[in-house]
Amino acid sequence: MNIRNTAKQIFSGIKSGMREFGQCLSAIVNSTLLLLVYIVAVGPTSLIARLVRKRFVEIEVSDDVKSYWSDLNLENKKFDEYYRQF
Amino acid sequence: MPMYILGISCFYHDSSAALLKDGIVVAAAEEERFSRKKHDSSFPINAIKYCLQSQNISVDDLEYIAFYEKPFLKLERMLSQHLAAFPYSLKTFLSSIPSWINEKLRVPKIVRKRLKYKKGVLFIDHHIAHAASSFLVSPFNKAAVVTVDGVGEWTTTTYGIAEGNDIILLKEIRFPHSLGLLYSTVTAYLGFSVNNSEYKIMGLAPYGNMDRKTNQQYKRLRNVIDIKPDGSYRMIMDYFAYHYADRMLSGEFCELMGGKIRNPSEELSQRHKDIAAAVQLITEDVMTLILKNVAKTTECDNLVLAGGVALNSVYNGKILRNTPFKRLWIQPNASDGGTSIGAAAFVYHSLLRKKRVVPLTNAYLGPSFSDAEIKEFLDSNKIRYSTLDNDKELVSTTARLIHDNNVIGWFQGRMEWGPRALGARSILSNPCNKKMIEILNLKVKHREKFRPFAPAVCADDALKYFDCDNPVPAPTDYMLMVYPVRGEWRKKIPAVTHVDGSGRLQTVRKEQNPRYYDLIKEFGKLSGIPILINTSFNIRGEPIVCTPEDAYRCMMGTGIDCLIIGKFVIWREDNLKDAWNSEKYAKD
Repeated sequence: MNIRNTAKQIFSGIKSGMREFGQCLSAIVNSTLLLLVYIVAVGPTSLIARLVRKRFVEIEVSDDVKSYWSDLNLENKKFDEYYRQF
Repeated sequence: MPMYILGISCFYHDSSAALLKDGIVVAAAEEERFSRKKHDSSFPINAIKYCLQSQNISVDDLEYIAFYEKPFLKLERMLSQHLAAFPYSLKTFLSSIPSWINEKLRVPKIVRKRLKYKKGVLFIDHHIAHAASSFLVSPFNKAAVVTVDGVGEWTTTTYGIAEGNDIILLKEIRFPHSLGLLYSTVTAYLGFSVNNSEYKIMGLAPYGNMDRKTNQQYKRLRNVIDIKPDGSYRMIMDYFAYHYADRMLSGEFCELMGGKIRNPSEELSQRHKDIAAAVQLITEDVMTLILKNVAKTTECDNLVLAGGVALNSVYNGKILRNTPFKRLWIQPNASDGGTSIGAAAFVYHSLLRKKRVVPLTNAYLGPSFSDAEIKEFLDSNKIRYSTLDNDKELVSTTARLIHDNNVIGWFQGRMEWGPRALGARSILSNPCNKKMIEILNLKVKHREKFRPFAPAVCADDALKYFDCDNPVPAPTDYMLMVYPVRGEWRKKIPAVTHVDGSGRLQTVRKEQNPRYYDLIKEFGKLSGIPILINTSFNIRGEPIVCTPEDAYRCMMGTGIDCLIIGKFVIWREDNLKDAWNSEKYAKD
């Protein structure tokens, strides 16, 4: 029984160690890949957008504008369209 | 065969599930109550299991599952933020995108895997879910609808009109301009936690200068927001950082407000209190303008509110006096947690065109435990207890214990839906005792001294003690309205009278919770004032208790004197073998 328990403990220790190692590895790989995406995709898109004065987020305020309300076009959709995530 | 629809809200904060049976909300609960993690945002598997068990059905019996937002639209907003803020958004990009890949964009897969549900999931726009969560369970056939929260997909504020089964949202204000996020920013600046402690700022505000003309912090804070006469607004984004970083405010904000972010351990100064007052005043300014504009546009007397800002009970209490609206409805769980009801109700009423049946009339939608189940728990854990013979004895014993200044854990019936304890999982005590705030804070709550305790009063007595709107609006039943305590009573119920003479009361109606109603009346016979202190039954930093085990653990970890659970009475001092110190582990 003791041998079995000890073996169980060792294996569960190895298992949790492997899990942690896996998580660390995936965090490093994820961060590296995302960093690459950020530099290769987000960066150039953002720079080009700035050159063509495309605004992704509207932050301007103006005294000339009477209202900041904008129309909300949540038109009646067909039932099946609600299965979409967009 | 009845039609069951499940609503789900998760992966942001306060995840929840709600079940509709033929359009009637039969069960609803937040995941945090089961997982014991405050504001738990994970997939609400336990809440869903509870909802299904409560009706004795399986996943196969569900006609539809509805989700509370459109994930791809939210991702579009997130990516737009990263693009707009490049290269400053790198850190948040690296920290936020994995959760999108792993769960937020995989809702149908997660539902299929975790629930073994074979059909598709319906995705409802976030602010539609908010609007539906309020209007479709309201008593109104026609109403103006206003939703104000931190942010949904893109939208932060909307208004529109709803009639019958239809909700039409007409106008919106989009991220990053958000009244909810302004409140959260000030919450962060004052050293409190965002998406958790906004209500503390509301409680702190009356200690500050509430005069717009003389509060210098109000004048300063007005510079961060441009408000138009119709209530629409935009934030001056130089003062904020939440649109590109994992913090709320920028250095400019600190400069404007004349000091750095308060350290949570730092004593609150008059300046901090004035800032709390300032953000409350600005919120009230904007909301009043919005509501006046909406009343004019929609020509409705009825108003339904939803979104996190609708939990601002101080402002809610002023709505009917400061705007043309005559009637108001807010559901008990007005913030994101409540959208699970909205998503499901929108599918049933607005998409399937099924007739609205009955409005939501109480918040007791969570799990309950029979006396047999409670007894089994007590016996199996060798807990010493006594048994009360009937309801009358239960009510009279508890009233006497409260009158004798004991702090009572009150665990009865179905758990409440929403952030407030409403007499099902409550700590009750005597409001007439001046020292009760100190006693409660010392024994149980350990919370900031400035925070008031709430009074619970029977609805038919409310107007005698509080300067409420008449008739008392239904949201008062859910502790969503703050009203002045009438002058002659303020000194008689000091423990529930805030520094400005107000009280965040809960009105109790006999048909909602007869045992609790009778208890308040019985206490009134002993004390001359039928009002109780009602505060949430939880350990500091933990969610409100859900099960008998949670309740017993809470009592033994705090200084609650006695637990009235079902028909059983458990004294802390009889069970000291199980005592522990919850404060050692508590975190806000």
